[in-house]
This record gives sequence, C-alpha cells and structure tokens, in this order.
Amino acid sequence: MAFDELYDEFERREAKALAMGGPERLERRRNAGLLNARERIDFLVDSDSWVESGLFATSHIESDRESTPGDGKITGYGTIDGREAVIVSNDFTVKGASSSVVNMRRIGQMRRTASERGIPMVFLGESSGARIPDNMGAYNMGTILGGNATQYRRLREQPWASAVLGMAYGSATWYGCLSDFNVMRKGAVMAVSSERLVSMAIGEKVDGQELGGWRMHTDTTGLVDLAVDTDEEALDAIKTFLSYLPENQNQLPPEKPVPAGSDDTARTVLEVLPEKRTQVYDVRKIIERVADKNSVFELKARFGRTATTTLARLGGRTVGFVANNPMFKAGALDADGCDKCCSFMVLCDSFNIPVIFLVDNPGFVIGIDAERQRAPGKIMNFMNALQLMTVPKLTVMIRKNYGQAYINMGGGKNAAEVAAWPTAEVSFMDPAYAVNVVHGKPGERLENTDPEFFEQKFAEFQLESSVYDIAASYGVQHVIKPEDTRDWLIRMLQVHQNRLSGGLGQHFLSNWPTTF
Amino acid sequence: MARIEIESDVTGTVWKIEVEEGASVTEGQTLIILESMKMEIPVLASDDGKVAEIMVDEEEPVSEGQVVVVLDA
Repeated sequence: MAFDELYDEFERREAKALAMGGPERLERRRNAGLLNARERIDFLVDSDSWVESGLFATSHIESDRESTPGDGKITGYGTIDGREAVIVSNDFTVKGASSSVVNMRRIGQMRRTASERGIPMVFLGESSGARIPDNMGAYNMGTILGGNATQYRRLREQPWASAVLGMAYGSATWYGCLSDFNVMRKGAVMAVSSERLVSMAIGEKVDGQELGGWRMHTDTTGLVDLAVDTDEEALDAIKTFLSYLPENQNQLPPEKPVPAGSDDTARTVLEVLPEKRTQVYDVRKIIERVADKNSVFELKARFGRTATTTLARLGGRTVGFVANNPMFKAGALDADGCDKCCSFMVLCDSFNIPVIFLVDNPGFVIGIDAERQRAPGKIMNFMNALQLMTVPKLTVMIRKNYGQAYINMGGGKNAAEVAAWPTAEVSFMDPAYAVNVVHGKPGERLENTDPEFFEQKFAEFQLESSVYDIAASYGVQHVIKPEDTRDWLIRMLQVHQNRLSGGLGQHFLSNWPTTF
Repeated sequence: MARIEIESDVTGTVWKIEVEEGASVTEGQTLIILESMKMEIPVLASDDGKVAEIMVDEEEPVSEGQVVVVLDA
C-alpha cells in the first residue's frame, strides 16, 4: 500500500513516546507503588478525553533525541468530571523531568491556553530542576532561562491545582507554590534544591523529609494544603478541589445537588458547644453540621490551626468558611493563623466564592514572640484582604469576640450581614482584663488584691458585653438560635448575591501573593 | 517508626493528664489538658501512635513550644 511506511513510522514513533523512559524505569516505579506520568493522567481525566499536545516532542539537543521521549514533561487537555482541564504531568523516567528548551515550550503553550481560554490548570509535579548540561554556561543562561516574561505571573484568571508526587525541585516546586491548591503524597519532597545538592553545599548530610517532607510543609510552612498516602488519593483531592471552583474567574462556581439530611444535621449544631465558657470545642464540628452534608473540604488543616479555613457548600453552592478554632490557643489568632486566613480569602475572592466567618476568639495572640512574628503586619494584611474582598461576606458570632479581632473576623460593616448566637459576648477586651486596666495598678491583679470590688466591676463589664447590647446598637443585624444558622446563611446568601455583576466579584485579591 | 515530639502551643499550667505511657492514641485525641488564658486547652495527638513518654506532671507550668509528650508513630 502506498502509505504503509508512513503509518508504520507513525506507530513506531507513537509507541516510543508512550513508552517514556523505558520498561525498566517504569517497572521500578510500579514496584514502589507509584503511578507513572501517563497513569496519573489516565486516573485524573474522564476516559477518552485526553489529547496530548506534543506527543512527538523530544530534546532540542540532537544526540538526546532518542533518549528523551516527550522531553520529560507530558502536556495536554482532558476533562475532569466533564469540564476541560489543561494538564502538565512530569515524567521522571525521562531525564528526571528536568526543565529544558522543548518541555518549557510545552508548558508555555499550556499556560497560554489555560489563560486565554479560561481553563483550570493541573500540575503533577516531580522534577529534578533545570537540565544539566543544557542550562549550563552563560550562553545557555542567555538563551534558555528567563525567556518568558509571564512564566511565573499569576493573576488567577483560572484555578491552578498541583500535586507534589515525588522528588520536586525547581519547576515542580515553583508551580506547586504558585497554585491555589497544593497536595502532597507522603514520602515526596518539595524543596528549592535536592538533598544531594544541599548536602554538598553545606558539607553535611541532609535528610529529604527534613528538607521538604509533608510534615514540614503541612505543619510549619503551610506551603502544602493537604498530605495524603497515595498518588491516587492526591489525584482525587485535585478533582475534589476543582469541583468547588468555577473554570475561571468570569464564571460562578458549579452548583451541586443538596444531599438529603443536610437540614436535620444542621439543627444539632448546639450539641457541639460546651456549657462552660472556659471549655473549648472543635469548630470543624460546627461547620460539618451547618454545611451541606459531606461537602466540607478543609485546606491547611495542620497549619495555623487557631483558624480553620474550609471550602464547603450551602444549599448546593460553594462557600468558604473562615473560623476561629477554640481547640487551639483558645482560638486566639496568631501569625500563621492570619497568613492562612489571607491565603484562603485570596482564593475565595478570586473565584467568586462567598465567605462566612464563624467567630469565637479571645483576640489576637499577644506577646514578644507574636511581635517578632510580625503580628501587626499580619493583622493588617488580614484587614486589607478583608476589605478588598468583593464577594458576599457573612458573619456568625458564636461566643467570644474581642478587640481588633472582632473587626478582622467580619465584625461591624466588614460583612454584608452579621448574626450572633445568644451565647455571643462582644467587647473591646475580655472583662477580666478590662477591670484591671481601668481600675487596677500595674503589677497587681484586682482578683487578688480586692476580689469583692473585682467581682462587682467584672459583672458590670460583662453585662454590657451581651448580645442584646450589640443588637440594640444595630452592630449585629440578627440574633439567631444556633439551630437556625444554616437556614439563615442560605437565606442571606440569596439576599446578598451580586446581582448587578451576575454574581461576579471584582477580584481585587487575585494578584496577591501565591503563598504567605 | 518516627519519634514525634508534641509541643504545647500555649503557655499555661498542666491541669490533667489524660493518657498513660504506652497507651495507643489516635490523631486528634486529647493527651493533656492545660489551663491557660482562663481556658481549658487540650494538647492533641498529631498522629496515630503510642505514647512513648509524658514529659510533664500535673500542676507543672509549661511554656509555648515546650515538648510535653513524645509519641512513637
């Protein structure tokens, strides 16, 4: 047949590309329980939806062509739950998925398509950094790196989700940090440079997990939103994350059916609250009851835990909860908690997601440590973010609410509508401290020196902190029974949707830092 | 098996120790209750594991960042 040779060549080349770094390397991964770059894509996208862009790409260096199928980064388009996604999957079996000329072009094309067409981007990260020797020397620095003025520019026109699934240095780390959601498989490492290079540079053995393991990134740095055990769980987490978000910032988040029983669970919310004001509770249990059943998706659960930030749905619509969690430091906001709130508000404001504040905190953490951690700057970042947000904001005051934190947590005119439970207490300062500030002497506690006088003044101050005092000055517009919280929120979200803009916000936070 | 040091995230006083050395615990379980800022503040297990060591006694003052329990996880 006339075209047989052409077809043979096509099939031979296609098979070679699909074989990636060869059977031995793929086998080693399989034995380690890891998916390869193509299996990850298959797991992530709807069947038969994948179209690769650059299947026949190879290294720009002629002698490397045969050994670099795809040039180590697989790029293309697939649908996830029926919606288009642009995907970059690093193939570690080809030159450690290191960055070089052709695969950078592939990523550039993906970023352009995602931006111009309003499609979410997914990065499946695992990379050894810039390819050597391709990038070595001044000539190559002048021609390869830095050749794209928008490579690291994030305006959040569309959501980015990243999974760190192996050794991630350079590219995979950068895109993870630029993403709106970053999930990590336990055992993976995310760092600027490899443990080998770091060990060489500082002359002592460095452990990869210590350098950039999941504990460090979920507990200490907050650069990772969630850690999971397997590749499959990480890819499922990306699907879940994207299910809350619109395809781009000019759309509304998708609506989902409301699971049966959501209203009944919401009526049990008071069971979570302890009777004594000195006892704590986990605010996540309140969110779980108030939101649509099984719709809660918490971000950065192990970082800055004095605050809880979680995506969820109310009446089928995506919302973001920003809550104090009294379980940790009594809910007093610290520097990490502030950073976490900012990062979450940036996400919500960029993608038209209304924000709900649940308030129970004794104020900000104060002290020398807090000041060293730049608490005043963090508190004002938080305030600035709050006041720049143009998505609908609602506030529910659960219990304690004092001082500047009252304003930060959507108090006063910082939310479209504010409700308080009858258990709420609002004032500038916890009455016990206030009595001492007004009536005491430095270095003395009136509780000890004049307990009778203290009790009398404490009672006066506390009386003035009641929920009906703030309702009387219209500082809160509603006092609601806890069991009615869900109904109130759903109703107020209807009232306060942005009708004039078709529900879209102005996205003032969409060019805020990608990490804090 | 990793040795995990659980720190207090507040300055306060140990009020109650809720577990014994050798006990199996699950992530999120209360290990110790501290008294701080006039509140009862729990110290929670960060992981599933076994209590290897309890580093404090009841009524002992603790400071922020102090290791109070060691887990094997």
